Amino acid sequence: MKAIELQTIQVDAKAIQTVDAKTVRKNDAKAFRAVDSKALHIAKKNVKEKLKNFGQMFWTIAFPIMMLIVYKLAFKDDDGSYIINGLTVFSMEFPGIVVYTIGISTMTSAVMFAMSKKDGTLQFIDTMPVSRGNVFLGAVLSETIFMNIQLVIVFVFGYALGAHFELAMLPLGYGIAMIFGVGAIGLGLIIASLLKSPEAANAFGMLTHMIFMFVSGSFFPMDHAGVFFTPHYWVKQVFLQLTVVGDSFSDLLYSCSIITPLSETTIFPIWVGLIIILAFTTAFIALGIKIFQRKTSL
Amino acid sequence: MNATKHEVLQSNYLETSYFHDNVDSSEYIIEVKNLEKYFNGFKAVDGINFKIRKGELFSLLGPNGAGKSTTIRMLTTVLKPTSGDARISEYSLKREKNNIKSLIGVCPQENIVFDALTAEDNVEFVGRMHGMSADDVKERSKVLLEKMNIAGRKKPAKTFSGGMKRRLSLAMSLVHQPEILFLDEPTAGLDPQARRIVWDFIHELKTTGMTIILTTHDMAEADALSDHLAIIDHGKVIACGTVDDIKRSSDNGNVIEISFFSREELIKAKQQLEHVDSVKQIICGENNKLTISFAGGAKGFKRDILNRLESFKTLHFREDSLEEIFLKLTGRELREN
Ligand SMILES: Nc1ncnc2c1ncn2[C@@H]1O[C@H](COP(=O)(O)OP(=O)(O)OP(=O)(O)O)[C@@H](O)[C@H]1O
Ligand SMILES: [Mg+2]
Repeated sequence: MKAIELQTIQVDAKAIQTVDAKTVRKNDAKAFRAVDSKALHIAKKNVKEKLKNFGQMFWTIAFPIMMLIVYKLAFKDDDGSYIINGLTVFSMEFPGIVVYTIGISTMTSAVMFAMSKKDGTLQFIDTMPVSRGNVFLGAVLSETIFMNIQLVIVFVFGYALGAHFELAMLPLGYGIAMIFGVGAIGLGLIIASLLKSPEAANAFGMLTHMIFMFVSGSFFPMDHAGVFFTPHYWVKQVFLQLTVVGDSFSDLLYSCSIITPLSETTIFPIWVGLIIILAFTTAFIALGIKIFQRKTSL
Repeated sequence: MNATKHEVLQSNYLETSYFHDNVDSSEYIIEVKNLEKYFNGFKAVDGINFKIRKGELFSLLGPNGAGKSTTIRMLTTVLKPTSGDARISEYSLKREKNNIKSLIGVCPQENIVFDALTAEDNVEFVGRMHGMSADDVKERSKVLLEKMNIAGRKKPAKTFSGGMKRRLSLAMSLVHQPEILFLDEPTAGLDPQARRIVWDFIHELKTTGMTIILTTHDMAEADALSDHLAIIDHGKVIACGTVDDIKRSSDNGNVIEISFFSREELIKAKQQLEHVDSVKQIICGENNKLTISFAGGAKGFKRDILNRLESFKTLHFREDSLEEIFLKLTGRELREN
């Protein structure tokens, strides 16, 4: 008799708990989505912090210029035998430099998020009526501001050093680079979620970026199927074909297929490449937010 | 053995605690109910209960590692309770923590500031997160930083001394004029001057009707500021009430010191007093001094012994200080070894 009574009580308690948990989850999801102008203030704060950060400014301004000069010097003695479609090797490598410069956001954003975890500011913001949605959007906004600066530098200095790209196609290339950049932030979020210290996030962020650069063939062409699994490859290739080589937007986008390291052409037209880039970005950012939330929020 | 003595003592305190006051529950702005927190099986907060009235200053007193900060971190929504709940204003901590965030201001134990930003930017950021307008936040931050004596510095917060960071952290918790303010050791690391400024400021805040929850190890601070306080140890409330409640209910807290002109007088008096029921302990000291601990009311006792004693030189009552009571309750061994 007594045992049965006890059991019913237990079942009841459990029922209450699940109802509670459900409400809590619903409330939390609603709160997460509440995105408003506070994201702008968070972005503003991040920008102020980054401007005071020497490392950040190095990666933003000095590094892209250094990369361009190194590449230019490396292919200085280009005697014409490498010239493809009338393009110099420097021009052919230019998309790789764009990918390298923007992809660095994996490291800088990993450091930013790991830092906010370690110094308690993330938790401090959690005591305020601000959604995590705002925190992420603010971070993406501030990171993209610096990406814009990087891109302008890369394009201006690249052009000055003789990289060829079609000016009419520049906005498209710019857009691709930015979409890729947001994905790189997602990758940084994943790294920051899994590591404890900003130092580890720095090292591991850089390592991840370098591995992607090598595997994707963005440093120098690679002929293996591994390239297809990196967003870097698609960005580099689409950027190359659309912006560096390309001259006619509609022809290229619909009828041209993506050239791969394994063959002269693939069955994928360039617009599929764009979709793949978007898919990578969506997956990285969604996964990044999910893991970060799981590790750091209640 | 010691523990049992403490337990007896502690139960005394809890009986006088104001849980048993007949106060309407709507008077309380915070009700903490069986809040528990485990860290990998270690019980940091062990089913804690207390209530805080609207507009009062409530102190949590306790030795290192007692669970004060863990309690504050749960109430300020950054740590998930293992079990239990709290009502803060009309919201449940467990179910509606996002509503609580707009009501509270938080000054954490560690100075959490944005190191690369100036004091002004730090304060303004918090205000913006609470939805304040640009003008309001500017005006308010100016007032607060002046009060905290860190106005006008254009250097980033990482160049601040510990005390300056502490005061900045306080300003940040107050920019939005929260209904409920949590201060985790607000004056830790401050010099006496700065501490006075902060105390005065807290007094001023109390007049605005703000409810303030403060943790401290500083008995003078608890004594000077609290309306009610809870002493916690090993994650449990072991005494709760006003400072006077706690002092009054002190078991052997009443002490009377009597000095005599001669040794003979002293011995005679001792023999007489040994038979008084309420006397718990008599210690013969140097310079013909007797120290007598007794239970019960001081007035009655005084009358009683004045009747019995023929002559004496001086007589004075001494109440246990809050610090002595604290040590009696929490024991003397060092924590967190
Ligand atoms: N994140 C954590 N992980 C594991 N143990 C923790 C954690 N936070 C606190 N503790 C432990 O919980 C206990 C209570 O810690 P808490 O910080 O609440 O104490 P406190 O009363 O604030 O002490 P102090 O006066 O030193 O600030 C301590 O034993 C501490 O070691
Ligand atoms: Mg503490």
